Amino acid sequence: MFDDKAPPEPSAFRWLTGLACAALLAACGGGGSSASDAQPTALALQAEKVAAVAAAPSNRPATRNEAARFLTQATFGPSDYDIEVVMKLGYGAWIDRQFSLPATSHRAYWEAADAAIKSANPASSGANQDQLWESFWGQAVNGQDQLRLRVAYALSQIFVISAVDGNVGNQPRALAHWLDMLGDKGFTTYRELLESVGLHPLMGIYLSWLKNQKADLVTGRIPDQNFARESMQLFSIGVVRLNPDGTQDLSTGKAVETYSPSDIAGLSRVYTGYSWACGARNASCFLNGSTGGVVDPDRYIKPMVPYPQYHSTEAKAFLGASIPAQTTPDPAGDLKIAFDTLAAHPNTAPFISQQLIQRLVTSNPSATYVRDVAAVFANNGSGVRGDLKAVIKAILTHPEARLQSNAQGKLREPVLRLSAYLRAFPHKSDTGSFRVGNTDAVATSLGQTPLRSPSVFNFYRPGYVPPGTATAAAGLVAPEMQLVNETSISGWVNYMRDNIASGVGQSNGTVNGVALNRRDLQRDWSAQLALASSPAELVKSVTDRLLYGLASDDLRSLISGAVAKITIPALNAAGTNQAAIDAAKRARVNAAVLLTLASPEFLIQK
Amino acid sequence: MNILHNASRRLFLRQSAAVASVVGSAAPLALNLAAMGSAAAQAAGDYRAIVCLFLYGGNDSFNMVLPTDAASWSAYTATRSQAPDPIALLAAGTTANPAAAAGSPARLGGILPISPLNPQGRSYALHPLLGSVQQLFDADKRLAILPNVGPLIMPTSKAQYAQDTFPKPLRLFSHNDQQNTWQALGPEGTTRGWGGRIGDLLAASNSRALFTAITAGGNAVFLDGDVVRQYGVSTTGAVPLGVDTAGRVYGSADVGTALQRLVTSTRTSHPFDADLAGVAQRAISAEQVLRTALRAPSDPLFGTAPASGAYNAANDPKLRYVNPLTGLDAANSLAQQLQVVARLVDAGMRGASGASRQVFFVSLGGFDTHDFQNRNQAVLMAQLAQALRYFDTTLAGLGALSLVTTFTASDFGRTFTSNGDGTDHGWGSHHFVMGGAVKGGDLYGSFPVLGLKNASNSNFDSSPDQLGNGSLLPKTSVDQLGATLASWFGISATDTLAIFPNLANFPGAQRNLGFLA
Repeated sequence: MFDDKAPPEPSAFRWLTGLACAALLAACGGGGSSASDAQPTALALQAEKVAAVAAAPSNRPATRNEAARFLTQATFGPSDYDIEVVMKLGYGAWIDRQFSLPATSHRAYWEAADAAIKSANPASSGANQDQLWESFWGQAVNGQDQLRLRVAYALSQIFVISAVDGNVGNQPRALAHWLDMLGDKGFTTYRELLESVGLHPLMGIYLSWLKNQKADLVTGRIPDQNFARESMQLFSIGVVRLNPDGTQDLSTGKAVETYSPSDIAGLSRVYTGYSWACGARNASCFLNGSTGGVVDPDRYIKPMVPYPQYHSTEAKAFLGASIPAQTTPDPAGDLKIAFDTLAAHPNTAPFISQQLIQRLVTSNPSATYVRDVAAVFANNGSGVRGDLKAVIKAILTHPEARLQSNAQGKLREPVLRLSAYLRAFPHKSDTGSFRVGNTDAVATSLGQTPLRSPSVFNFYRPGYVPPGTATAAAGLVAPEMQLVNETSISGWVNYMRDNIASGVGQSNGTVNGVALNRRDLQRDWSAQLALASSPAELVKSVTDRLLYGLASDDLRSLISGAVAKITIPALNAAGTNQAAIDAAKRARVNAAVLLTLASPEFLIQK
Repeated sequence: MNILHNASRRLFLRQSAAVASVVGSAAPLALNLAAMGSAAAQAAGDYRAIVCLFLYGGNDSFNMVLPTDAASWSAYTATRSQAPDPIALLAAGTTANPAAAAGSPARLGGILPISPLNPQGRSYALHPLLGSVQQLFDADKRLAILPNVGPLIMPTSKAQYAQDTFPKPLRLFSHNDQQNTWQALGPEGTTRGWGGRIGDLLAASNSRALFTAITAGGNAVFLDGDVVRQYGVSTTGAVPLGVDTAGRVYGSADVGTALQRLVTSTRTSHPFDADLAGVAQRAISAEQVLRTALRAPSDPLFGTAPASGAYNAANDPKLRYVNPLTGLDAANSLAQQLQVVARLVDAGMRGASGASRQVFFVSLGGFDTHDFQNRNQAVLMAQLAQALRYFDTTLAGLGALSLVTTFTASDFGRTFTSNGDGTDHGWGSHHFVMGGAVKGGDLYGSFPVLGLKNASNSNFDSSPDQLGNGSLLPKTSVDQLGATLASWFGISATDTLAIFPNLANFPGAQRNLGFLA
């Protein structure tokens, strides 16, 4: 099953040893030793001892398949290495260690790529969105801090900005910073995350509240209401009042809307007078981000700053909060009240908790599951509200997350299908850059690119029900099904058919003086090729890797039967048909992998 | 409420049986759903289609169709000339200033006058980049304007709107909910679209019901009925699922067969499995028909054959528009969608697809112009104008002008007031209907009074048609628009009342807006 496991890189050994220290303080001298001090040779034994102490039996996967299933929820896909670690540490300790792993900066990657491009070609405009996808995919596939990366990706689908909007898309460095921010703040509190999201210039641009001005009562100009509306509808409380378990509050006999146009108008006054970080707080800075011809080169990544002269002094009433009319405008004070109000609203805990569960574990959490997680959101046990680490841990360790049933699971979105494939079957990047590129095209690619949602409503809605389906009849929602249609379902198979045969990503010509003329991500399939003469073994190996034990006998026999029909010719006496033999073996491997990836069993993360 | 005809019930049973024979078992494929014949197929030449062109984001129709009588124009220019980036377009006849900022009103030049047959005592014009629409309206008479349309429960006055208890559409001003309301007459969570419900009643007359409701513009609730499911087609046509033209994968027909069996069958009882298998089944069935039913996009009827190499719609000059910001021509995604619609219309007319009544959906996004409105809407209007002209010309070439009616829809209109460089969410908005059956060159519905804001707040007491921030209170409902199209499509008055639940709240004489011959 783990036939071609690549040896972990030394750095990975170091952190795992560091993990052992963290989990078993006594053995490492009270945690004083740094992660890099320890020798990898003692790793295995030490980690096993750690696991025995750190993980109660109920908190440990009984099988590698269970570990892989957990990693499908918590990472970009199970890898041999992470399966080993989860087996040894158990779920809770694995999560705790993930919380402590350092992030790798997408922005730093993008800046280095930009510098390299400009160095090689001074006339070039430098890096663009492609380098952001390089960093995204490079980390999604190979990053050690998988939980941080996976949570950041989930958050990018709740707090949405999109590079499809040219004003956002033209700032790839800032988009890289946005991903870094989500990874960083995703392990803090909801309140802190909301503020970082809200004041990020890309959010200011995307929801048009950067340089939003107070009303002009004479001419009739009004504050822009975009961020006011969506910060309530999408980023915090939603449109109807919820019970603590995420169900609609119908105690009055019908759904109760959480806000009205007057709440939006009140909040839109709060969201005035913020604009670029700039050398002054004058009109030029507010409107154009420059003063005296000087712009702050980091204005797209520094939090927006208040410009009191553009801030509304009118009375502001929203969601029960009331700010009286001001003689001295107080943008920062008003903003604090607004964010505090959103974070404290009783809807926020179930609203955000349910969506995080949907992004990571299941489209249809029970009311109990949502209630339990929302309770942790409301109070982490130490009186802290919105402790996102506690929320994430509650989501991933909840009995319902570990349970497998036919009401559970979620459709894998296209990005997570590809990431699972690349983690199950590691590829090498010819350039080292992971040039996966833009994957927007529906008929020929994934029909989904990270950070390129069509609107602030994400790629799909949390309550989406595909009409007239078995899902609808069962009373279930299936958000990711909003991306499924006859074209996209074919596009996935066609894209992977070619990826398996030819490698993944953009094509390279000559790399480091070698004419490659092939796609950037390539894999050595020799471990699978070694099984090609035995279709049943080959198929078991492939399905174990992608489906972690959930492949039915029917599925395996269907795939094996087809694979066996690809005839491997016998070596002829002259030995001249080796190429045909190799091609047939490769076709068998390709077929086994493609058929598994195309199966409903793979497409649905159960 | 069940509005299915007996014919539709039979269709449903037929489809259910066909799907059951495939999905839920690993039995040999029965890929014949789309191929199943029906004696009910309509006579050749009896073809009709409705095309919904959805402008996602909420189009600012105040800058698309403009009243230019003195009072309206004065209110318009006063309200929309706000710093820092005024969004008031300039009077007809204003010469474009090539030195002005890209997309700015000065750069675009004056608005384009139009002459409705019944101008309601006022005068009108179009956005400067809607030259093709001006011609379709004035000269060709194949385009009409529906002023101030929006979702309504019943006719609603401004005084009634102010009453908390007066029935109003739910979640006004919210994107997703109003998109859903335009398409399915209820907020998000309403899962039966009126295009799909019209399809329910007509699918039985299609020998291949699969092609009754087709989207080239992304999944849209508009097309899902009680029985009818939307088919998602690529702008290039139907995409084969995994196999080459000989049914092979990696050179193996056996693998091709196994692949198609695998994706169309389930081995677990998870409902998602069954649904995915259903979509795959439809994908395969549809592709088997369309691979021969559709004529090539490079056919001069639809496109331009490349001088060399494979056809690429992005490079087809018929499917490109001039970007007003750059002055350069660029691929038009909306025209690409309409190209495949035209190819499907052609196949339907020839009897090649087995569908003689079809509802289509295409879309263009980016209309949520909270800021940079001048630039962004200019690009969108240029795309819309080029796409509509392309579609009209192409349908003319097919002899299909009077068989296809296209209408625009959008989340909502926007505020009349400006936030400095854009507008916010509103309600009613003006829309276009286009086609040879359209009694063009006229307005259907009363054009709203545009007034000035109050001195002390942003209400518009000077107009009976404007609410806070000058948003329009609709005078014509989506139900009335839909019912007019349904009637043209052959849906009975009784069925129309069932599809459009609010229609009965409007006087009988107003249930058909009269824009279709």
